[in-house]
Amino acid sequence: MIEVKEEMVEVKEEPVHYSPQELQRPDSRDLQALRELFKPHIESFDYFIEKGLQIMLDNIDPVVVDDPSTGQKLRISFGRGDLEDPRKDRRQPLYPYECRQAKISYSGQFMVEVSFQYNNGPAIREKFKAGQLPIMLMSKLCHLRNADPQTLIHYKEEASEMGGYFILNGYERVVRLLILPKRNYPTSSMRNSFRERSEGYSDTAVVIRCVREDQSAVTVKLYYLRSGTARIGFWIGGREYLLPVGVVLKALIDTTDHEIYSCLTCCYDEKYEGAKGAVGTQLLGERAKIILDEVQYLGLLTRAQCLEHIGEHFKPVMPGMESEGNLAAGEAMLKKYIFVHLNHTHDKFNLLIFMLQKLFSLVDQTSLPDNTDSLQNQEVLVPGHLITIFLKEKLQEWLSKAKGVLQEELIKKNNFNLGSLGDVKKIMERNPLSNVGSAIETLLKTGNLATQSGLDLQQRAGFTVQAERLNYLRFLSHFRAVHRGAAFAGLRTTSVRKLLPESWGFLCPVHTPDGSPCGLLNHMACTCRITSFFDAKGHVRNFLSVQRSLINLLIGGGMIPSSPELVRAGPPQVVSVLLDGCIVGSLPAEKVAKVVAKLRELKVANKPTIPYDLEVGYVPLTLGGTYPGLYLFTSPSRFVRPVKNLALSSENGHGVEFIGPFEQAHMEIRCPDGGDGGRTTTAPATHEEIHPTWILSVVANLTPWSDHNQSPRNMYQCQMGKQTMGFSSQALRFRADQKLYHLQTPQSPIIRTSAYEKYGIDEYPLGTNAIVAVLSYTGYDMEDAMILNKSAVDRGMFHGQIYQTETIDLTEQSGNRREQSKKIFRRSKLDNHKYTGRPVDSLIDTDGLPYVGQTINPDEPYCSIYDAVTNSTKVLKLKGSEPAFVDYVAVDGKKPLQKVNIRFRKTRNPIIGDKFSSRHGQKGVCSQLWPDVDMPFSGVTGMRPDLIINPHAFPSRMTIGMLLESVAAKGGSLEGKFKDATPFADLVKKADGSDKKSLVDDLGSVLLSKGFNYHGLEVLYSGVYGTELTCEIFIGPVYYQRLRHMVSDKFQVRSTGIVDQVTRQPIKGRKHGGGIRFGEMERDAMLAHGASYLLHDRLHTCSDYHIADVCSECGSILTTTFVQHPRPQVHDNRELPPAKPPKKVTCHACKNSKGMETVAMPYVFRYLAAELASMNIKMKLQLSNGAEA
Amino acid sequence: MDPPPEPVSYICGDCGMENTLKQGDVIQCRECGYRILYKKRTRRIVQYEAR
Repeated sequence: MIEVKEEMVEVKEEPVHYSPQELQRPDSRDLQALRELFKPHIESFDYFIEKGLQIMLDNIDPVVVDDPSTGQKLRISFGRGDLEDPRKDRRQPLYPYECRQAKISYSGQFMVEVSFQYNNGPAIREKFKAGQLPIMLMSKLCHLRNADPQTLIHYKEEASEMGGYFILNGYERVVRLLILPKRNYPTSSMRNSFRERSEGYSDTAVVIRCVREDQSAVTVKLYYLRSGTARIGFWIGGREYLLPVGVVLKALIDTTDHEIYSCLTCCYDEKYEGAKGAVGTQLLGERAKIILDEVQYLGLLTRAQCLEHIGEHFKPVMPGMESEGNLAAGEAMLKKYIFVHLNHTHDKFNLLIFMLQKLFSLVDQTSLPDNTDSLQNQEVLVPGHLITIFLKEKLQEWLSKAKGVLQEELIKKNNFNLGSLGDVKKIMERNPLSNVGSAIETLLKTGNLATQSGLDLQQRAGFTVQAERLNYLRFLSHFRAVHRGAAFAGLRTTSVRKLLPESWGFLCPVHTPDGSPCGLLNHMACTCRITSFFDAKGHVRNFLSVQRSLINLLIGGGMIPSSPELVRAGPPQVVSVLLDGCIVGSLPAEKVAKVVAKLRELKVANKPTIPYDLEVGYVPLTLGGTYPGLYLFTSPSRFVRPVKNLALSSENGHGVEFIGPFEQAHMEIRCPDGGDGGRTTTAPATHEEIHPTWILSVVANLTPWSDHNQSPRNMYQCQMGKQTMGFSSQALRFRADQKLYHLQTPQSPIIRTSAYEKYGIDEYPLGTNAIVAVLSYTGYDMEDAMILNKSAVDRGMFHGQIYQTETIDLTEQSGNRREQSKKIFRRSKLDNHKYTGRPVDSLIDTDGLPYVGQTINPDEPYCSIYDAVTNSTKVLKLKGSEPAFVDYVAVDGKKPLQKVNIRFRKTRNPIIGDKFSSRHGQKGVCSQLWPDVDMPFSGVTGMRPDLIINPHAFPSRMTIGMLLESVAAKGGSLEGKFKDATPFADLVKKADGSDKKSLVDDLGSVLLSKGFNYHGLEVLYSGVYGTELTCEIFIGPVYYQRLRHMVSDKFQVRSTGIVDQVTRQPIKGRKHGGGIRFGEMERDAMLAHGASYLLHDRLHTCSDYHIADVCSECGSILTTTFVQHPRPQVHDNRELPPAKPPKKVTCHACKNSKGMETVAMPYVFRYLAAELASMNIKMKLQLSNGAEA
Repeated sequence: MDPPPEPVSYICGDCGMENTLKQGDVIQCRECGYRILYKKRTRRIVQYEAR
């Protein structure tokens, strides 16, 4: 741990420079910082492999099958679980690259021991195959674990492959980190929906999300009733059950009414009424009486009676309890659903008393409700835990289903003997255990949680997303993203999206998308971590020993332990101490501060007994503030981040403490700008931020001088940085992604932040240092358009490609199994006809596949498939409107050729309409590729800009960072140095007291010393006239990104084409060659302009123009038919054929052909008439000349 | 009867060995048994538009 900490404290000021030899060695870089970003995913899955799986299996309730005829009992339970690493045919290791190529899943065999026990006899253990379980890359079961960069390259991976995702059917998918309510902490909340629960309910409740050892959770709500009592509510199988709190209190332990009364009222003392921190009021006694009266009214006096009462009501909803007594059922209910994180009923009783006190204090307004939207009361759902709880449910489901089929068979009685294990296993095969593995695979593949109970989660879909490798920033962001939950996306209120001060340092304030997911999809700050089950040395923590040593420490600090009896006093005399949701005792108020200081000291000292990420949430006594207490958390999946503990820090950089969002709200942390945050002497700062940029995410950290930009521009850059074409993968040759963007000639930015080196972004560069002139030159740079220098583009600037992989699996195409071997790749010899001017054999090789390296034009065939069943050959044609090159053809498979990956490469060099952006949220569209000779040129150097943007881009957007970048990069390129542009750098420097010069002075003096203008201006000459431009022009290199939005993917044009069958109007959709809708609002605009001829042209002539025959007698357009007279036979060939008989239209309704008129109308009008006729409504047209009407 | 289709060369994705496969052959490297093969680049002249 110490090594990591030291690394964290040290802020690199100087960019690291590698020698060429070092750069050639792929393992020269320190990947620790990068690895840290992916840790939450990998650690959680590692724990699942190492211990979580077994704990989960042990926690599954066994089932008992009863044979009523023989009285035999069979108890089925799970034993050891065994997860294997991914293998081919269970022999050779399977590597991720092969999975991506072959479009299969990277999964290992999952074996479970099922133990059968007859009538308490010896258990017979049998191994069952439970299907294939997807394995996370770089987890302990992954073959790439601990591989050095050299080895990774050998396995056709990135040199800096980080893992953290799954490969399913060849696609890489990440489990989304989701925000959940903090576990084992009672939060008080007020919500109107509580009132609608039932009659008499108030809007007040205390809610606790209790998490078992196996990570499954049960949320318990304690509702306040207007009558003064409370109800305890929890969900079982999709329904909420409510119990009077008194019944639960009495059922939990053997107690007396007096004890309950004194426990509830203990936090009220007349002496302290209205004092700081007093939470109790006189009303407590009344309420305690009401609670006790309620139980009495139900006629429940003893613990046994209460348990029987509960058991009687819950027996029907508790599976496996049918044969048990009410008392046992009641006990089981309390064990399984009430405060499941606690094992002892005494602890549960104490916690319930505490929650009641908190509830009553909220009602009496002696404390405030907790904000459920703030990070203070939240934690995160990590992949390993999601898989554990889902797997548990699926296994439990399998057990109960197995019981179901066995009992069904017992009733049917056809030769089935429960005593024979062979028979039992045969019956159980009807519901194979291997379905469990595929259920997990489906969860990860689709992100849909197919569950009946809901697993105490708020959503059913969107648990996984595809990890797109558009560029490295986008890929990385998938692992740092934290979603608030799909349930909040539809919410009308915006309060959940608010940026709250509680998330300072944990969630990046800049890196969130604008638009619909704004504020819901956040990204973790770069140094934010998620606590796990692993300690700093990589061993699984022993929480019991940690808790024991913590309790001993607390007792040493003056805590009165809660066992054997709860202390009969409350705030402000004493405060309760909760350790992971368990009341361990109470501390005299005056001793708390000392204990907290001691705990922090031990935390930082990195003793094995006290974990470094222990959260010491001391809520001090306040007047009507948050409910006071000392809340300690050692649990996993909490957010933590490093800060400097001033009391413990020394010169050598120790004293780094990891703090959580819960404790942060009550801590005094100052920023290192020397300002002390306006603190008074009464509450001096105890902690200090290590570096100001650590509140930003990785992507936000890459924006140079983001502290000089208007904040929304930095948000835009975070968005656009993730849409940039760049160097997406170093293993590009071996990738088979559906679509990959690739920039041909990326450059390393001259202006970079410290994060750029720290995270090794140079391995995946995503832009070009373009010489940008800010002037209005041709008029083609208006409204965020920009002019590119044509010669610069011709020399390769912003050149790029799109790689598209087409996977053809012949076994897949025919659904029927027997047919599968009938299809083969083969070139047709017979119909060697021409496709768009080229013969087939020039496009398709003898194996039915294209030649590697050749060009294929749109609509030309690239692959030929012969179907032996129909004896026909089908060719696949290239879709789209641009030519493609065959990049590679990869064949794979066991038997004859059935599966092929064909990768096409489409060149995407910049053209008019492509989108570009600087790193400061300044995006623009290329409007012209202007010839180099006509570009303005510098009078001194003769340089022409690569790119021209309009000066109007700056005043309203205030992106001063971009101006600084231009000046600094000019100086940097003149000096031949990279320049550091880490934001807030001056704040850190000031602390040393070394640098006094302003940033602009710094940059300007470099330019001056090289003979350039201080402000970055230059005299330019018009490229067209050769005259000096009237003002000096701001020109310098700016790092520009090419965004993936390109006209080639977007343009839509149509003159004529496919029409809709029913309406004969043009269809929509770019893919099908459709048109763009000329809608109502466009119509209104035309009308307003009086452009009726144009309107007629657009909406009628160019759409469904139709000439209909109308019968003026009956006014119908549907009854008229066109009668064709047979042509008279021509006997002599030498004669001219007779003239075409005149067209004759008759009306079927009127039975004559008089008064037939032709009328132009939209074709939909005819359709309307037909629709109306089908509803027995006749539409009658009255014809007249326009003048008469 | 058609003449049998001429064999096509493939390169092993693991060892780089060249394999010539005929119609209906098992897709597997003869040297190392690897099952992902890449088709060899065509010998024909491929002209790119240099513009």
